[in-house]
Order: sequence, then structure tokens, then C-alpha cells
Amino acid sequence: MYQKMTVAALGLLTMFAGCSEPSTTVSHDDSSAVAPHVVATSEPSGAVPVGQARESVEDGEEVVLVGVVGGSSQPFVDGLAAFTIVDPKVPYCAPEEGCATPWDYCCEQDQVKDNIATVKVVDESGNPVATDARELLEVEELSTVVVKGAAERDEQGNLAVLANQVFIRPGE
Amino acid sequence: MFRLLPWEYGVRNLLRRPVRTILTLLALAVVIVLVFVVVGFVRGLERSLAVSGDSDVVLVYSLSAAENIENSAIAARTPGLLAANLKGIQERFGVKHVSPELYLGTRVEAGEASGAGLGLVRGVGLTAPLVRRSVRVIDGDWPDSGEVLVGKLAAAKLGAEASALAIGNELEFEGRTWRISGHFTAGGASYESEIWCPLADFQQATKRQDLSLVALRLTPGGSPAEAQLFCKTRTDLELQAVGETAYYASLQQHYKPVRMLAWLVVALVAGAGVFAGLNMMYGAVAGRTREIATLQALGFRRRAVLLSIVQEGVLLAATGSLFAGAVALWLLNGLAIRFTMGAFTLRIDSTAILIGCGVGLLLGVVGSLPPAIKALRAPVAESLKAI
Repeated sequence: MYQKMTVAALGLLTMFAGCSEPSTTVSHDDSSAVAPHVVATSEPSGAVPVGQARESVEDGEEVVLVGVVGGSSQPFVDGLAAFTIVDPKVPYCAPEEGCATPWDYCCEQDQVKDNIATVKVVDESGNPVATDARELLEVEELSTVVVKGAAERDEQGNLAVLANQVFIRPGE
Repeated sequence: MFRLLPWEYGVRNLLRRPVRTILTLLALAVVIVLVFVVVGFVRGLERSLAVSGDSDVVLVYSLSAAENIENSAIAARTPGLLAANLKGIQERFGVKHVSPELYLGTRVEAGEASGAGLGLVRGVGLTAPLVRRSVRVIDGDWPDSGEVLVGKLAAAKLGAEASALAIGNELEFEGRTWRISGHFTAGGASYESEIWCPLADFQQATKRQDLSLVALRLTPGGSPAEAQLFCKTRTDLELQAVGETAYYASLQQHYKPVRMLAWLVVALVAGAGVFAGLNMMYGAVAGRTREIATLQALGFRRRAVLLSIVQEGVLLAATGSLFAGAVALWLLNGLAIRFTMGAFTLRIDSTAILIGCGVGLLLGVVGSLPPAIKALRAPVAESLKAI
């Protein structure tokens, strides 16, 4: 009798523990093949800083821009070869200041506004490449990049570059 | 040959000292209920954040707001700009699934009896349910001008009685009186602790023309990348676009220290429980020195006696676990907890049951082993003479 009761109690305990709800996991992979010529092996000549380009470049003009990857806490677009760059003259937090995300230029946001540009790495048909720039270019926050491509301006003064060549300055 | 003590021997031993057994059982059950409370808290918080995110929804809000949408202020024209520029927004019958929202925490008066509490109010339009698909109006109607729709956990968030938020009652916030038109649930999502009202009314009441955020529903399988790219390109708008799932995942990270602390409490409670169990089992075994020695004199090996004592401890702990599990399921599960981000319910799910009962069984084994070993180490001849 006691044995049966005990076995029933332990069985009930096991049953409680066995109840579970179905879990769902969603995975999404948008990566696509990338043209290797996007990554330049030598630096394109005549690079101008972002701030200077924002003052003079016209829509559709071919430009070569130099800038530092950053401008916000997440400068990269997830799943697309696109990111923002900031004029190298704008200072960011030094490592000794202990800032976890110096690339967001938290202390210099006023300067960032007029010294930022968006880089969209495009394929031959002009569409943004559907691979994360960090994978495609092996670039990271605060890397100095030189990009070459067609400028895209709007009435609000925003500057974007439809880049077909990207050079990453080594050691910067 | 290794001969075990009969199973009934251990069971009868428990019934021979009913008061001690009941007290031990209650002590074990209390410890396990405490474990259930803490695990239920963590599971409830995790669940609330997990179900709040929809993988097809993107939140667009101010770049300077970091992870706190309450601090966000974006231009009122943003929804129109997003709708015009993004191709991946879900559209049905000519209506784009774009929900402009004004969201803030404010002091809400819920009648004289309940007083005032900090509530979360969201001004929404008619497109909000198209984007927030987990929202269900469970009674009453969608709010007209001057009315509010109250979430299932709003009373817990306000610290008010549920009856204070009955349909037809009035709330006061932002200098206006609002009639409650209905109630809604959201499948456990964080909106359940909110109060929803018409966006235009809320903007008038708060004297604001801007918005906090725009929520977009993407076409099935769509990616937030297009919205993110738009925000990066239109740097003048100072916007950021974050997938709703990623947003709530970041909140999970934000609350990680709280969850870590809760798990630490589980460990501490379990540790205290082990010591309480040890204490009780030492008492129980110490009074049975002669009995244990007699069993050895009868020819039962030490291992057999040890197993029998552990069996008693485990049986008691299993019963305590079942008792605590029943209390947790019937009394704790679904209990509303007020929290900074709103409110959520204690969740006694399969994981919580497994952890609670696992800790309970562990108490039984770990609590009974040391006193049993100590009793068995004593020489049989001396133990037989013990009083």
C-alpha cells in the first residue's frame, strides 16, 4: 500500500516536470554572393573628408570619400552592406575614457550632424548588397575607410555614397 | 549478498513520528515554495519580454532615446515618410500597417479608493491593432474620444484594485478625465500593463505634437534592414529602426543583472534549505542510533541502511515538492507583479516546476546523507548501548 502511494507520488512529480510548451525558433539568412572587386586592394586617389564633401558634392557626382565608421552606437545596417562614416576630424572618446561605444561620438553629437555620410555598397545593378558589411568587407567600428562611388544627395542635405569600391586603411 | 531494507520500512518510519514528519514536510515545502516564487519571477519576466517582440514588426524611434522609448520624440510626419519610402510594409485594402504612437509614463488617478499610481499610457490610432496583433479586446469597445482601453495588468501596474478599472469607471491623467471603454489582453506581452487612448486626444492632453515611435508591420519574411537603411540615410531625422524582437532582446540584456540576482536568490534559498534539511535529518537520525545499530546487528549492511535513510529523506522531499508545486500552480501562477517596465505575471511553467522539484529532491538527498553517514560510522556495540 505504502509502496504504491509513494510510486504514485513520484510518478505525479515526474508528470509535472514533463509538461512543456512547444518552442519555436526562427532563423533568417539573407546572405548572398559578393563581387570581390568591391574591396579595393589599393587606396583610391583624391579622397576628400566627409565634412568637405557635404559642402560641395552634387547629386550623382562621382566621389571618393574618407571617413571613420561610426556616428551612432550601431553604425552598421544588419544584413546589408551599408554603414555610416564620420569625418576623421571629429574626435571620439579616447580608450582611456572607458567609453564602451566610442564610435557613437556621444561627446561630439553636434559635430556629427554635419560630418556624417551613409555608405551603401551596391552591386552591378545599383542595389545594396544583401550581405552585412562586417562580413563582406571585414570592417569594424572606428575603421578608417575610403569609398568610391556615386553621390546621392537630398533636399535635406544628407549625403550617401553608392559605393562600388571600398578600401580599408590598414592599422586605422 | 547485498540485502536492501524493505521499502515499507522507510515509509513506516516516517509515519511513526508524525509530528516530526509533518514539521519537516512543512519546512521543506516552504523552502521549495520560495524557490518557486523566485524561479516564477524570472520565468515571468523572461516570458513577458520574449512574447512582446514580433519578428515582423519594426520600431522606429529617436536615435537619442537609446533603449528607452519613453525618452523618444520624433516628428509627426515620420509615419508618412516611412510609409512613402519603404516598400516592405504590409498593406491590405489600401491601408499600410503603420502605427504612430505616443508613449509615456504618467501619474494616473484610479478613483478615491485606489489612489494614484505611475501608469504607462500609449496614444494609438486605428492602425495599432494591425501592427500589434497579439492585442485582443476582451470586453467593452475600442476607445472613442475621451475614452481609454485598459490592459489586463494595468491595475497591478497602478497598484489599484481590478474593480477600480471596470468599464464605465473614470481615470484621471494629464489633467483630463478618461472613461474606461474596455479591456484588452496581449498574450502576456508587456502592453498588458498599459492604458491605451486615442492618439489625438493624448497629444492634446500632453500638449505635444510629436510622437514617441512608429511601429511598422513588414510583409511576411521581411527584414528590418530596409527601415534601418532609411534611418541611416536620412540622418537629418535622427531616427533608428530596431526589429521589435531585437528591441526586447536588448531589454532582456538590460534586466540581466536582475535575473542573475534572482538566480542567486534561488541558490541561496536552496542552500539555506539544505542546511535546514541537514539540521532536521541530524535530529531525526540522532534519535535512532540504537535502531540503526540493531539493523546492522541483524545483518543489514551499512549501504542498505544508508539507502533506507536517504529513501526517507527523498520521499519526504518529493511529497514536499508536490505540495509546494500544487501551491505554486494554484496560488502563485499568474500572480501580477509590478515592475519598472510595467507588470508581468509569475510564471510557474514546466521549467519552474522542474527546477523547484529538482531543488526539493536535492534537499532530500543532500540533507539526509551526512547525518546517515555519521550515524553509521559509530561502532555497532557502542551504538546499541546508546540512550
